[in-house]
Amino acid sequence: MSDLDKAIAQLRACRPIPEAQVRELCHKARELLVEEGNVVTVTAPVTICGDIHGQFHDLMELFRVGGDVPDTNYLFMGDFVDRGFYSLESFLLLLCLKVRYPDRMTLIRGNHESRQITTVYGFYDECLRKYGSANVWRYCCDVFDYLALGAIVLGASNTLSPGSGPSASGPTMTETRVDADETEIEVCNADGQVISTFRRQEQTSGRMRGGGGRSPARPTASNGIGSATDSSGANNGLTGAAPNKSGPPGSGASGSSGGSIGNPAGAVLCVHGGLSPLIDMVDKIRLLDRKQEVPHEGAMCDLLWSDPDEIDGWGLSPRGAGFLFGADIVKVFNHRNDLSLIARAHQLVMEGFKEMFDASIVTVWSAPNYCYRCGNVAALLELSEDDSGLGIFSRSNGDVGRSDGGQGGQQQQQQHQHGGQGGGGQGGGGGPQRGVLMENDLMAPRSGPARRYRVFQAAPQDSRGMPAKKPVADYFL
Amino acid sequence: MSDLQKKWAKAKFNAMPEFNELDEDRESASGGAGAGGLSRLEQDDDSSSSASSVSSTGTIIPSPGRALFARPHGFAGRSLDPIPWTTYFERELFLKPDDDDEQNGGDEKVTSHHAYLTSPVGKGPLFVAHHGAGSSGLSFAVLSAEIRKRLPSAGILSPDARGHGSTTITTITRSQGEGEAESTTGEAKETAPSKQKPTVDLRLSTLSADLYRVIQLTKTAMKWPSLPPIILVGHSLGGAVVTDLARSGRLSTTTAAPGTTAPLLGYAVLDVVEGSAMDALQSMQTYLSTRPTGFATLRDAIDWHVRSRTIRNAVSARTSVPALLVDQDKDKEKEKEEGEEVEADDNDKKKTSSSSRPWKWRTDLAATQPFWEDWFVGLSKKFLEAKGGKLLLLAGTDRLDTELTIGQMQGKYALQVFPEAGHFIHEDLPEKTANVLVDFYRRNDRGALVLPPKVSELLAQGKRI
Repeated sequence: MSDLDKAIAQLRACRPIPEAQVRELCHKARELLVEEGNVVTVTAPVTICGDIHGQFHDLMELFRVGGDVPDTNYLFMGDFVDRGFYSLESFLLLLCLKVRYPDRMTLIRGNHESRQITTVYGFYDECLRKYGSANVWRYCCDVFDYLALGAIVLGASNTLSPGSGPSASGPTMTETRVDADETEIEVCNADGQVISTFRRQEQTSGRMRGGGGRSPARPTASNGIGSATDSSGANNGLTGAAPNKSGPPGSGASGSSGGSIGNPAGAVLCVHGGLSPLIDMVDKIRLLDRKQEVPHEGAMCDLLWSDPDEIDGWGLSPRGAGFLFGADIVKVFNHRNDLSLIARAHQLVMEGFKEMFDASIVTVWSAPNYCYRCGNVAALLELSEDDSGLGIFSRSNGDVGRSDGGQGGQQQQQQHQHGGQGGGGQGGGGGPQRGVLMENDLMAPRSGPARRYRVFQAAPQDSRGMPAKKPVADYFL
Repeated sequence: MSDLQKKWAKAKFNAMPEFNELDEDRESASGGAGAGGLSRLEQDDDSSSSASSVSSTGTIIPSPGRALFARPHGFAGRSLDPIPWTTYFERELFLKPDDDDEQNGGDEKVTSHHAYLTSPVGKGPLFVAHHGAGSSGLSFAVLSAEIRKRLPSAGILSPDARGHGSTTITTITRSQGEGEAESTTGEAKETAPSKQKPTVDLRLSTLSADLYRVIQLTKTAMKWPSLPPIILVGHSLGGAVVTDLARSGRLSTTTAAPGTTAPLLGYAVLDVVEGSAMDALQSMQTYLSTRPTGFATLRDAIDWHVRSRTIRNAVSARTSVPALLVDQDKDKEKEKEEGEEVEADDNDKKKTSSSSRPWKWRTDLAATQPFWEDWFVGLSKKFLEAKGGKLLLLAGTDRLDTELTIGQMQGKYALQVFPEAGHFIHEDLPEKTANVLVDFYRRNDRGALVLPPKVSELLAQGKRI
């Protein structure tokens, strides 16, 4: 479909496409999205991205860092629009790519994909400015209503795939390497050079309590990342690496081929905000009627608005919508749903990503220098494919094969509603059956998939298209 | 008075009034798109109808004398007559601290804090509202009625800051009889504000201490056994004041004993952000110089506020503007007891005055410049640090500074934006502001909050989860 390719080329150049074309695009996108379940199943490898907020040039930088679209599978966790000056181009480009490569592009809804929010935070104004009418805004909002609420990533590997960055195999990479199999987290800079790696902690029996074992490594990890990115523009990540850090795993022939099988990593749930007290099973998300404006309360609202926080249980969210939820909530939820990790966006993290609660949940933020002034870096999260063949299993609650037109998914869903009545999570299929959760279980989180974070900075901005600087607010007092 | 020649900056919003229903306003979200826009237009243009609905809330006890002011709402044209405070508040209080020791000792100063109050009913919350510089407690009058429409048990306490409204500072120690305080209903009489201007201490810490004192004095005066749960609301400078008070922790936020409600549930700041306020300060004197220095009549003053879109809601302007001005002729004549009649005469232009524009600003804003920076420095940090629910209401997202932009995207407070409002958000859009404030209260009302049980507790009880 060459029209679509033309539109993609035009949008990549940051030029809006004509209104009639937007209308057609949105129509096609809706046809596609309506077939998706509320929770889309995605198989690794996939690159997970957080908020974009209309920062078009940074989105281009993201594609440069993460790989271009048909070659890399992407999952965007919402908040495509508002705040930045190119919400329109950013969202339409993502939508075009979705229509063009439906199985390589997953878009889920963020709290900004809403009529109410976009009228206040910029997207509406931008559409009006660029088209002279609100029609395009209306078309886009109609698409928002059809976006999925979450995604489940299956088949993510415990080991990292070979780094694919441009300079990953450069001659400088001759340090002693930790075997790729043991790498749990790898942080790369925008040029694909490894800034730091973190080895998988040994799983000593089942009783690592919260304070011991894995958790001490985390703060160090994120501190190291912060300082590395701060101090080094690009290149001194390697030279500054301590002996225990390694070059990129798999720059030889190892990587995936030599990967030990181990347990396939559990699934990864992706959602814009977080959990809801009304949702104890992923399958309950599937029962929601999502085709509506984001409500002010209820499960759908919570999924798009909630935040993790260092609290016990549930708390009031200062945002005025959604909830705060603590480590115990996440661990119980992950355990019950056989998840190893929840990936979410929604909160600005200055380092681009932040793992919390013994790596049971991670925040990914993909808008560098947010609002063109916050000074943060951005990140994307790569999950690699598990080549053992054991990674992908049809989950009882899954809808694998959504490209078959949703038939399978619908069946699964029905089947599941059945199972749901039967009690707990005992659906059919091969899903592990877990009933009672003992306290000790809480403290032994499932070992997560290997994660590669690519951290990148803001791209040079094109001043064209930015609205003239607004006059200083003439109020006071 | 704050400024707001936003008519220019905001011109684009005027061009598309049909979309204002999309604010974070539950009512309009559930309603049809067109209906929301329509209702706002009505509210802007058909002021007399909202006036009548305001006066039908049933919470008002107009004094007989004031009833003379109420004009029939029959004719459709805009009325510019002043609306008395009694339409909105249950009572006014003149509060004098027992031992009023001003920090800068020397001559004794007695501050008589003037405040408008509608008491909370039962366990209802008390909204404590602090106006901005140059404004007065009546700025919140219309808002208070809207809040009580939505939450009839709510009370509103809206004091006049020192140097504003009817709060007075006298340098001579003198005891005013209680009777006088209660019988007086209108203008400040003791001192002409202009004489005091240079000496009025408007430091943030002083204003914040004043607000705390007013809350405590009100509790004493009303013989409340304990303070009701409080939501602080501050507009502009008032936003800085309530944030400072919240940050000081003087109104405790922790529940002292189980079962008791914490006094401070949360604080709401209306249209002030440190970064943009500091930026605006440099152009402030220029703005102030463009204001008329005086008005011939109160109606002229109201008309100016509405026409210049400083206050975009005629009903609110009719209520709040009279308190901003003082009749200098009247001061000269010392016709204290006839204050209201003079006002009335004035409206009819019967007055034979020496000056053609006798109504002067009560507060000389330009003279407050030495305090401006003190008001706003550190505001964003304090706003994020203080305990309790946090709500920021703005008339435009461009007002956020970097610190609050980060804070917002980290989910540290609730933000509501009303692009169609001017700086006086609560006067321009009292209904929407009231919706947001009442929702804010309900959300932060710990008595009503039911969170799901904690996992650890369930585990401790041996439950399957």
